[in-house]
Amino acid sequence: MSHQPVAVVGIGQTHHKKRRADVSIAGLVREAAQRALEDADMDWGDIDAVVLGKAPDLFEGVMKPEMYLADALGANGKPMFRVHTAGSVGGSTGIVGSHLVSSGRHKRVLSVAWEKQSEGNAQFALGGGKSGSIGAGGAFAPFIRAYIRRSGAPEDIGWKVAVKDRLNGAKNPYAHLKLADITIEKVKESPMMWDPLHFLESCPSSDGACAVVFTDEAGGKAAAKPPAWVLATAMKSEPSTFAGRDAVNPKAAHACSDEIYKQIGVTNPREQIDCAELYVPFSWYEPMWLEAHDIAAPGEGWKMTDSGATALDGDFPVNMSGGVLSSNPIGASGLLRFSEAALQVRGLAGEHQVPGAKLAIAQAYGANAQFYAMWAVGSSLDPLGS
Amino acid sequence: MTDTSIADPSNDMEPFNLQFPFTRTLGNTLSTFFSAVAQGQLIGVKVGGRVIAPPLEYDPETGADAGSEWVKVGPRGTVSAWTYVPEPTHLHPVQGPFAFAFVTLDGADTPMIHVVEAPEDQLRSGLRVEARFKEGDEVNGRIDDFVFVPATDPSPSEGAGEPYQAPAEPEIQTMDAYCDLTYVDNAAPVTRVWTQALLEGKLVGRTCPQCGRTFVGAVSLCCVDAIELDESTQSEMPQTGVVTNFTVITPVPYPGQKETEPFVRCSVMLDGTDAVLGQQTIVGIPASEVRVGMHVALEWEPEGQRDVSEIGNGGHGSTGGAVVGWKPTGEPDEPAENYVDRMM
Repeated sequence: MSHQPVAVVGIGQTHHKKRRADVSIAGLVREAAQRALEDADMDWGDIDAVVLGKAPDLFEGVMKPEMYLADALGANGKPMFRVHTAGSVGGSTGIVGSHLVSSGRHKRVLSVAWEKQSEGNAQFALGGGKSGSIGAGGAFAPFIRAYIRRSGAPEDIGWKVAVKDRLNGAKNPYAHLKLADITIEKVKESPMMWDPLHFLESCPSSDGACAVVFTDEAGGKAAAKPPAWVLATAMKSEPSTFAGRDAVNPKAAHACSDEIYKQIGVTNPREQIDCAELYVPFSWYEPMWLEAHDIAAPGEGWKMTDSGATALDGDFPVNMSGGVLSSNPIGASGLLRFSEAALQVRGLAGEHQVPGAKLAIAQAYGANAQFYAMWAVGSSLDPLGS
Repeated sequence: MTDTSIADPSNDMEPFNLQFPFTRTLGNTLSTFFSAVAQGQLIGVKVGGRVIAPPLEYDPETGADAGSEWVKVGPRGTVSAWTYVPEPTHLHPVQGPFAFAFVTLDGADTPMIHVVEAPEDQLRSGLRVEARFKEGDEVNGRIDDFVFVPATDPSPSEGAGEPYQAPAEPEIQTMDAYCDLTYVDNAAPVTRVWTQALLEGKLVGRTCPQCGRTFVGAVSLCCVDAIELDESTQSEMPQTGVVTNFTVITPVPYPGQKETEPFVRCSVMLDGTDAVLGQQTIVGIPASEVRVGMHVALEWEPEGQRDVSEIGNGGHGSTGGAVVGWKPTGEPDEPAENYVDRMM
């Protein structure tokens, strides 16, 4: 690669909750940013540029919040960037931050992504304020029904993902939902929200933020705690509707992981990658993404879920943090995935650590399964020892 | 109240009024400030050797935590700059002529932007003003609990700059932020063609000369080839089709939501084409009986009762209030392999 190496040296996130009644929006983003700075052993003054991401402004009704939040994030006199790529925005915000370092333009960059869903109503916002909003669940349920039909997967796969991710979330001190006593029965018997998706197969609405500090190679080598090295980044998009579009197994999703694997020389993702944080807001997206990112063969993704391969103690753990199913501050959700992958290769994931993880991937997607952001992070610049 | 003056008179689309009661959580600093306001007291915070009023949670110069060294400021202050609003709209904080002004309160080092109610010819840099607070039931603990008016006594405020003892748990924790925005989605030429066809009981589509895909609805480009589809590519579409996918939505209540019971939205692939209309309504059967592969036919509202006013430029094949919905024909279901990549 032609760009300069980039290290993740600081990660911070808020405690995610249905309603963070104790903080303002500025207080929320600062809570995550201050934890990231502390993790990096830095102060506001050490940062050269700030990147801010969130989903549509109508979620909170604060238009162009990056302007109001610039000085709250210590960006006075510094470059400030706003990123918006729908649900994938958290991932894109991390990628833009890393590019400001890999391009050689800045040495230390802070990326922050957030959502404070309790200030508004996501269904209202996604429907543009009009009646009959189908919401994200209504948009994705048809794709999920098509996947189930196409793959012939048994109906309990979605329930299994819902249980597995919540049990992981129960190990994550920052997770919104900590459902240590969740069972397949409870998921199955929870109300049907967007047929075939039950309530417990759906993500919560959360308030929360996530922040990452990036440095150049020298900064990574000098960091007090182990860094995560950003080995590859990719973003892809495709139109929402046209004849021949495969919305279950979208071309842009494949292209995104293809580019990541090519950059780091991965030829057998399931063998060579230690774990993955994939954007799974509705349970069935776990097997769907395993297939779209070539971790499983077409039609076989659900078998990995079924066999327990994607559990924390499986051979390919997915969503160790509890994933979007356990915390969903929408704009931050992508960066939370990216951060968890980095925490894993830093060996700092606590109770949800995959032992010895050296290479991890993270993914986020958005809009009508149209926008994709992915990265691969490693415990060294050459985790595959090529 | 809806301001309709922004509508293009040649446009038959209705202005849309977006409203939502957003709720802000304030955090400790702003809670302390607004709780003080509710008591008729203005405060700032001492940080970095100066007093910032209203207080911020951080030093805007450095990003450092501002802490909680509260200081009483005002109620009198000095105008440093202003812009005059002679004819306020219903969304302005006051309904008579006023100025938005920078007012540096006595005891503060930074100006706050606020309302000064004074005749335009009285506004000047250096004008002494004083806060006039609402009383009784009108007090909400909000920034509009007070306005500034020319000071009857220009002398320095008593007590300004003295420490302020905040209550342990400030009373005001949230703020309502009512959004009220009216806009007109001026119809694009293709949207007018689409809605006119609906009024006449027709569906029209445009076929890409390069890839052969057909797009229905207010669409005038092929998103695959990125080329414009003009009226020469247009033809009338069949009014029967197959349900290629659907979802049953349990509606959540929100301002503007009219749905109260679970409702179906489905994609319909029009017979003999690859064109799909998204987010369509099924009628004649309960939601629980909708199936993928079901043959359906379009049922129109009677001529003269077709409402296209809510169809905007963004919808992919919205049929708005022009149709009742799609009714099952009873024919045997279509096999999935015939529409597997046309679910939307």
